[in-house]
Amino acid sequence: MIEFINNYLVPGLILGSIYALGAIGVSMIYSILRFAHFAHGDLMTFGAYLAYAVVVAADWPPLVALPFAIAGTAAAALVIDNLAYRPFRKSRPIVVVIASFGVALMLRAAIMLIWGVQPAPYVEGIEPPLESLEPFRIHEKHIIIVGTALVLVIALHLLLTRTKMGKAMRAMSDDADLARVTGIGTERVIAWTWIVGAVLAAAAGVLMAIDTQIKPTLGWDQLLPLFAAAILGGLGRPYGAILGGLVIGMVEELSSYPAWDTVQIFGAKLLELDKPIISPGYKTGLAFAIMIIMLIWRPQGLLRGRVL
Amino acid sequence: MLVAEGLVGGYGGADILKGVSMRLDAREIVVIIGPNGAGKSTVMKAVFGLVALREGRITFDGQDIARLPTEQRVRRGLAYVPQERNVFVSLSVHENLEMGAFVRSTVPRSVYDRVYTLFPPLAEKRRQAAGELSGGQRQMLAVGRALMVEPKVLLLDEPTAGLSPRAMDEIFACIRAINREGVAILMVEQNAKQALGLAHRGYVLATGENRFTDTGAALLANREVAESFLGGGH
Amino acid sequence: MELGGLLLYFTALVTMGGIYAVMALGLNLCWGMTGLFNVGIAGFFAVGAYTSALLTTPPALTGGVDVGGLGWPMPAGWLAATVIAAAVAWAVGRICLRLRSDYLAIATIGIAEIIRLVALNEETFTGGAYGIKGIPRPFETMDRPWGEIAMMLLIGLIVFAVYLFLQRARNSPWGRVMRAIRDNETAAAAMGKDVEAFRLQAFIIGSAFMGLGGALTAHYLKVFHPEASEPLYATFLVWVMLIVGGSGNNRGAILGAVLVWLLWTASELITGALPPEWGVKIAYLKMFLVGLLLVVVLQWFPAGLLPERPPKLAGGPTAK
Repeated sequence: MIEFINNYLVPGLILGSIYALGAIGVSMIYSILRFAHFAHGDLMTFGAYLAYAVVVAADWPPLVALPFAIAGTAAAALVIDNLAYRPFRKSRPIVVVIASFGVALMLRAAIMLIWGVQPAPYVEGIEPPLESLEPFRIHEKHIIIVGTALVLVIALHLLLTRTKMGKAMRAMSDDADLARVTGIGTERVIAWTWIVGAVLAAAAGVLMAIDTQIKPTLGWDQLLPLFAAAILGGLGRPYGAILGGLVIGMVEELSSYPAWDTVQIFGAKLLELDKPIISPGYKTGLAFAIMIIMLIWRPQGLLRGRVL
Repeated sequence: MLVAEGLVGGYGGADILKGVSMRLDAREIVVIIGPNGAGKSTVMKAVFGLVALREGRITFDGQDIARLPTEQRVRRGLAYVPQERNVFVSLSVHENLEMGAFVRSTVPRSVYDRVYTLFPPLAEKRRQAAGELSGGQRQMLAVGRALMVEPKVLLLDEPTAGLSPRAMDEIFACIRAINREGVAILMVEQNAKQALGLAHRGYVLATGENRFTDTGAALLANREVAESFLGGGH
Repeated sequence: MELGGLLLYFTALVTMGGIYAVMALGLNLCWGMTGLFNVGIAGFFAVGAYTSALLTTPPALTGGVDVGGLGWPMPAGWLAATVIAAAVAWAVGRICLRLRSDYLAIATIGIAEIIRLVALNEETFTGGAYGIKGIPRPFETMDRPWGEIAMMLLIGLIVFAVYLFLQRARNSPWGRVMRAIRDNETAAAAMGKDVEAFRLQAFIIGSAFMGLGGALTAHYLKVFHPEASEPLYATFLVWVMLIVGGSGNNRGAILGAVLVWLLWTASELITGALPPEWGVKIAYLKMFLVGLLLVVVLQWFPAGLLPERPPKLAGGPTAK
């Protein structure tokens, strides 16, 4: 049981929290701007590298560098929207999707040009797990990750339910045409959507790098799970994205749990394999499989979001 | 107050409007009726800036608003209630009203109270999601949302579409009450007879052009209008 | 650069450009003619490459791994590659084509990713990360530069054949239906056309050509491993080629492929002259430029170099 918690549940929660943050951005951008933002992963990477730059230059811990990363990524997102996506507001959605592919490549290439391709840790050395929480093997970084994610989610909730702009974002997510008719300044809402999306993406990137290490494909590698989480939860539903992120994260980590080797029903062994059904190499394929199943069986997602 | 002259335009290729003109004076209720495809909704959308015009002028309070973006028209006091999908379904009733007042920097409590007084069912359900309301209540919310800017002109696109006869009467009564408070109303209606009974003046459109213009009562009494156009509605 | 080197450079340029042209033509069928947002090119590319490589490579040479190299003749391998890629496309299409455009993009990326994972993990079949080596190449027994020239001509022939095939398809009633579906799906469906079936056919044929491109690449380069179908090269470069050349236009696809490949390889010449650290940077710069091209061309030259010109109807009535 402790094994299970330490090796599967905790990592699943960590990964799920990170996915949740990224998926919220993808989900909101989809529902308000009506396109799948393929550069979102690279926004995450960008944020992670901005923090890395601060960590290296000022020798601060990553968490302290986080606000800089967030500010820089938000600014970048606004510039990108203005130059690469805004000209296509009235075009077919496909065109802006292709543009986002271009932006993704540009971001990644810029990162490689500046920082090279070698993976690197934020901080040198390995920290031991916190003794106070024995026998659970929980590291300080785990607390940081889940704690930061929680703070951001609460802040988002307050934004969406207590502020005028937050409600305008929900309104535009519901029906962009009606929002325009009502007199809501749609370009302002779009700008705020990018800001929120970028803040969450930057945080997700930094947290991911804290959990593992930083490398130029950090975010691009997560793109499929992010989309899967957003679709699973229902596009346009921030809580759906959180739920979807946690589910996908859990599923990915639990997929290599050895208990699946032995399929038992009521104590009678049905199958016994010498390696897991889902080989660890296929972990990322799982998220994709879930996504395809959702798209075919229930495209509006668990929390009934926008379909297209 | 609101003048549209020689409107020509439509969606993309074909022109739906082929030279429509109309006028709305302060404190009036003006109704637009006509068969399907006549361009009734299109005129309204053109006035609000949702449809591209190839020719024509639109003036509001003496100023040309044809180039103005929608947000600006709302700020000047023009409010529009579309026929379908006219509420934000995942927002609560109160939040919908809040959004209606988006262009205003401050919204005194009295503005909300006025809407809730006019539409009591909304007051009861103010925390409920708009998606859970009945058809008639949604219509009330849609109109209430438009009233939040305290508009000078209210554009209503088939406000009674799909409503029961009782709900229809309620809506018409509300429209009359709103008008009495000083709001000019331009209304497209399928329930032509009842609408004309409510209206000061009416325009009958067919195939994108004006056909008849007169006071509401005169149009009702007009034989030709009655035969061709007043069969409409349920 | 002396004449011999120049000649080799030229043949390499045209050969690889031609292979890309085959893939751009395939993408043109999917996207330009039918409006299907296929971003999984890398997947079909890999399927075609591995299929042909496995079937034609002699057993002893398959990279030292006990992979089932069968030593078949090359044309059989290429045919099989095309057929298998078509089969995979059929399976993918049946599941994913009904999805709207953004979703189709995500789905095809996912499929390409799954294929990549299979290639990486199923080492007994694919040689894992090391891949397959010693793949036979046409005309490799001939002296330089004749072998290279012969290969170039062969590829040119293949491009020509594919082009003719697609032009015929485009000008046929089938092609007209495809365009009708692309431009106004509801109208086409209202006319009783089985929209699903038509789109599936276009997807299968287009993806089959991508598989052929993969096979040709594998044989040309003589090695193939998962990195070779890395999305930058296999997917996005082809997209850029089509957009630059002119989507919807088969000649545009070929032009775009050759032109972009020319630019792409020309930068190799520069890289060769620079010190090594710069060489690596140039690679990233190229990636940046691909992205930039995607954004800029869409904004300012959406029609590409050769815009689509609707084919002349043979006096028949128009669809509307």
